[in-house]
Amino acid sequence: MKLIFRLITLFCLLYGTSSKAQDNAQLVAQCAANAGNNVTYLKDFIVKLDAGTPGGKAPSAKFSMILSKNTMYRFSICSSPNSKGEGVLQLWEMNDMLGSTFMSATGKDYPFFDFKCQKTGVYHVFISFKEGKAGEAVGILSFVKKL
Amino acid sequence: MMKHIIYFVLVTMVLSSCRSGEEKQAGSEFDVPDSIVNEGVLEISEEIMQDIVQNVSSPVEMAALVKSLGVPYSKKYLSPTDRVNELSTSFKQALNLGVYGADLGYLNMYDKTSAVIDYISAIKVLSDGIKVGQFFDFITLKRLAQNNQNLDSLMYISVHSFNQMDKYLRSSNRSNLSALIVTGVWIEGLYLATQVAKEADHPELAERIGEQKIILNDLLLILDNYKSDKQFNSLITELNILKKEFDDIRITIEKGEPEAVEENGMLVIIQNDKSVVDISPERLESIINKTEKIRKRLINI
Repeated sequence: MKLIFRLITLFCLLYGTSSKAQDNAQLVAQCAANAGNNVTYLKDFIVKLDAGTPGGKAPSAKFSMILSKNTMYRFSICSSPNSKGEGVLQLWEMNDMLGSTFMSATGKDYPFFDFKCQKTGVYHVFISFKEGKAGEAVGILSFVKKL
Repeated sequence: MMKHIIYFVLVTMVLSSCRSGEEKQAGSEFDVPDSIVNEGVLEISEEIMQDIVQNVSSPVEMAALVKSLGVPYSKKYLSPTDRVNELSTSFKQALNLGVYGADLGYLNMYDKTSAVIDYISAIKVLSDGIKVGQFFDFITLKRLAQNNQNLDSLMYISVHSFNQMDKYLRSSNRSNLSALIVTGVWIEGLYLATQVAKEADHPELAERIGEQKIILNDLLLILDNYKSDKQFNSLITELNILKKEFDDIRITIEKGEPEAVEENGMLVIIQNDKSVVDISPERLESIINKTEKIRKRLINI
């Protein structure tokens, strides 16, 4: 009986892992498609975060990339349907935040924002979840056009 | 008896689940030779390396710039695929996988679907060689290319496959191969830009070539981790020759505050920093010549 229980657990684990990868792939494809027709997908950032501690800083995931001058990029965020928290994507350069899918001043959310890059260099994407909730999301970097 | 039947069914289910999982997850059953697994202590941490590696070089952007300048498509910028079976080591396979990846980006950008099939086939051979062929959906890619339809999907699957492969290599302790692929993409992108710049004066392209100084420095930082390997050392030596050419290029930054504006209901962030690249015609010419020689040697290294 013990053996059967172990086998069932193993099967669930294996099946769960494979279906998780499939869910991620679907979310990436869907999010890339939502970014628009005339853009080219470049990168995806898959994030799964635990909830933060009460009163503490919201956990976030960081991704670094090189962006090129005179290029318009699009940064999109899509939260997984199972996600407790709503994903927020921010673009940073060194210690300066350049853009975010959530504008705290107006309380407005955007599924994506475009970035007109004027300087080739290293930029950072941070993905977190509102109110430090646990969550799963996918960020997408797309190429829009040369400026 | 019932117990035995349940046992048999469960074992069958577990085994079949393992097999299907292997296709998607790039199973760990591969016998990875010692020579292509990271050895020893890295000079910079894996985490920092991953930070640097992300999007060091995209197979799409340089091609997009060239196309936006009105430069017509030309096959002469591409690396020939006829010698793909001669690339026998994982080092050569990974480096050339990057080269062909950049070429595939160029072909996709110009919608040259008939030529795409040759490059997809070459990429299949090389990716199978370094045991990452499972990330490329070659059947779908070929079908899309042959039918000359849904070109956006062709581009998406191509780029996504490269990203999947890159993630897998980095997560399975084979960042060295990932670094080689990135190097291949970068050198081929630079080769394309310099060949176009050789034929006609394009100030924007010259500036973009000068900016590769920043990317080359990052690339060398990554490759330096593997300098104990003879082939990597040879690659680093070649790239250091190229780096010298970039040394006197000055990049100055004019600071400005970013602006957030709404255009047709969409949020647009305008960066008001500006970089100015100072590259003389003589320096550009020497970079063009050096890139040509180095790219030729690298793809035959």
